[in-house]
Amino acid sequence: MKNYTLILTLLFSFTLYATAADYDNDPIKTLLAFDAIPAITKPQFVPAASAKLDTDAPVIGVTFNDESHAYSLYLLNGHEIVNDVVGGEKIATTW
Amino acid sequence: MYSRELDGKTYTFGVSGKLWRDALLMYDHQTRSLWSHITGEAIQGQLKGKKLKPLTSIPQIAWKTWRKNYPQTKVLSVGKRESITRDNYADYHKSQRAGVSGTRYTDKRLSNKSLVIGVQVQVKDGADGIDGHDGADGQDGADGQDGADGGVVELGSSQRNPTQKQSQDTGSTFYRAYPLTQFTKNAIINDSVKGVPLLIYHDKESFATAVFKRIVDNKAVVFTSVVGYIAQDNTGTEWNLITGIATSGKYKGQRLERLSAVNIYWFAWARFYPDTTIYRP
Repeated sequence: MKNYTLILTLLFSFTLYATAADYDNDPIKTLLAFDAIPAITKPQFVPAASAKLDTDAPVIGVTFNDESHAYSLYLLNGHEIVNDVVGGEKIATTW
Repeated sequence: MYSRELDGKTYTFGVSGKLWRDALLMYDHQTRSLWSHITGEAIQGQLKGKKLKPLTSIPQIAWKTWRKNYPQTKVLSVGKRESITRDNYADYHKSQRAGVSGTRYTDKRLSNKSLVIGVQVQVKDGADGIDGHDGADGQDGADGQDGADGGVVELGSSQRNPTQKQSQDTGSTFYRAYPLTQFTKNAIINDSVKGVPLLIYHDKESFATAVFKRIVDNKAVVFTSVVGYIAQDNTGTEWNLITGIATSGKYKGQRLERLSAVNIYWFAWARFYPDTTIYRP
């Protein structure tokens, strides 16, 4: 959680650098190092029955070839990307 | 949501720590090219100009609603946790601040932090309209689309908005934003984008969003009512709008074609797709 505060502080501090012209120039802004937010490359899953999730928790849902995966949005805040395979389909879930 | 397969190779993606147009840039571990997670396009590096294939998902839904419709679902677990109880971006979502790094760009048609459903519709050039569909247009087979696709397009002529994006064989892409405020009284909207009949569903209770082509057996259907996520069309068929499958009536067992959809702040959608139209009732 501390890590997170740091990241958000860094992100917000860049507010000052945005300019009205950046829509035309579309610069790439570097805010953090590569992988400072760790994407998930070897995702682990549990069955619905043993998932500890509030009933109203927001999830992303995907289904391919009768296989379905759900990802908690709050959990994805700290990872942004899940490299996954669902029903044989190799997917990148991004948030 | 994108396929990680491109030109016969499989890629894995990480977070670059960089932003472009106020949005996340991914990078692939194999070439370290930078990719927009909004467009799926590489904007820098060896794979610059390549585009990942978008895949459909339900971008947000309450866990109980997802689980009910997909009881066999598995759930992502990180460090033995399937969720955290707090949204770390809650303050950001409540604020008027646009973009975690701030943006000065605004498209004043809506307020920056209005939530919209962003929809992209591919329209093929030269295909005939839904009533005139006779299977004669040879484009259908060429790009792997099924027959229903070719039969719903109204563009028979070369008249086209020159500002719309085009690519070799997919024709043109059109963009439309549906403000979530349109769904406070009714969870469904029947709309058409360039002759493609669409159903837009957003349930304020479960926050589920789904977009389908409302075409069955090559005919457009009109949805007339919805309770929860079960909707009825003008043939009396009942459809589950989470799964897209008809549960009873004339078309029982049929499945609607789902389009990719995102829940996104207006400023971000408009920045990437300035040509977007906005749904008006």
